[in-house]
Amino acid sequence: MPAPRHRSRTMRRVFKKTPGGKTVLHYSKRKPSKPQCGGCGKPLQGVPRKRVTEMQNLPKTAKRPDRPYGGILCTECTRALMIEKARQQ
Amino acid sequence: MVFEIGRLCIKIAGRDAGKKTLVVDVLENNYVLIDGLTRRRKCNIMHLEPLDKVLKIAKGASTDVVLKALKDEGIEIPEKTKKKDKKETTPRPKKQKVKKEKPVKVKKEIKKPVKEEKKKEEKTKESEPIKTKTETKETTPVKEENPKVEKTETKVEEKPAKIEEPKN
Repeated sequence: MPAPRHRSRTMRRVFKKTPGGKTVLHYSKRKPSKPQCGGCGKPLQGVPRKRVTEMQNLPKTAKRPDRPYGGILCTECTRALMIEKARQQ
Repeated sequence: MVFEIGRLCIKIAGRDAGKKTLVVDVLENNYVLIDGLTRRRKCNIMHLEPLDKVLKIAKGASTDVVLKALKDEGIEIPEKTKKKDKKETTPRPKKQKVKKEKPVKVKKEIKKPVKEEKKKEEKTKESEPIKTKTETKETTPVKEENPKVEKTETKVEEKPAKIEEPKN
């Protein structure tokens, strides 16, 4: 029987092969979910799925695209926003 | 043609989206040369949103001419902050290391062949370097009682010192 702390589903079960040829059970933490667009709700591109401590070690440019509203809105929503702002002027 | 030379536009896509530019030259396949608040490069018509104004510029004008035309229209041009200006500030004060003063050692002429007697004689002679041979003999038995205490003191001050050997 697995230990009580390993029975919860917040840890995922991973089967690993040892150099001796046996398969062995390991437990690892889960990745966070994909970020969504603030306007339409589609999954965003250019943002890695990593835990907070791993994200802190990444440089700023590796965490979001280099576009205005990058990491917040998808490309279609930003384009629509820009066109609206331009037509107001 | 909507996108003629001198037409004011706003860029919709890219990392310079939302910035105002001027059409400087018309190229083939829906491409146009732009310049202004963005870099001077070719751009697709699909990524531009034209405005009502058309300014007077010659074909293939340089960036200085374009920026001047934008200024006359009333568009603000933000100043570029260079990283070199930031480095011209006062430099950091360097840490000053405090050097420990070492005691001055008295050099001696005669060398020592045996190493064991060196440590014992170093203890005697570092404390009283200017003593004669007779006095060192008397002091050696007293100091041999506590070798450990003196050894720690001598280890800090260890250096190749030429010490005499009282031969008796």
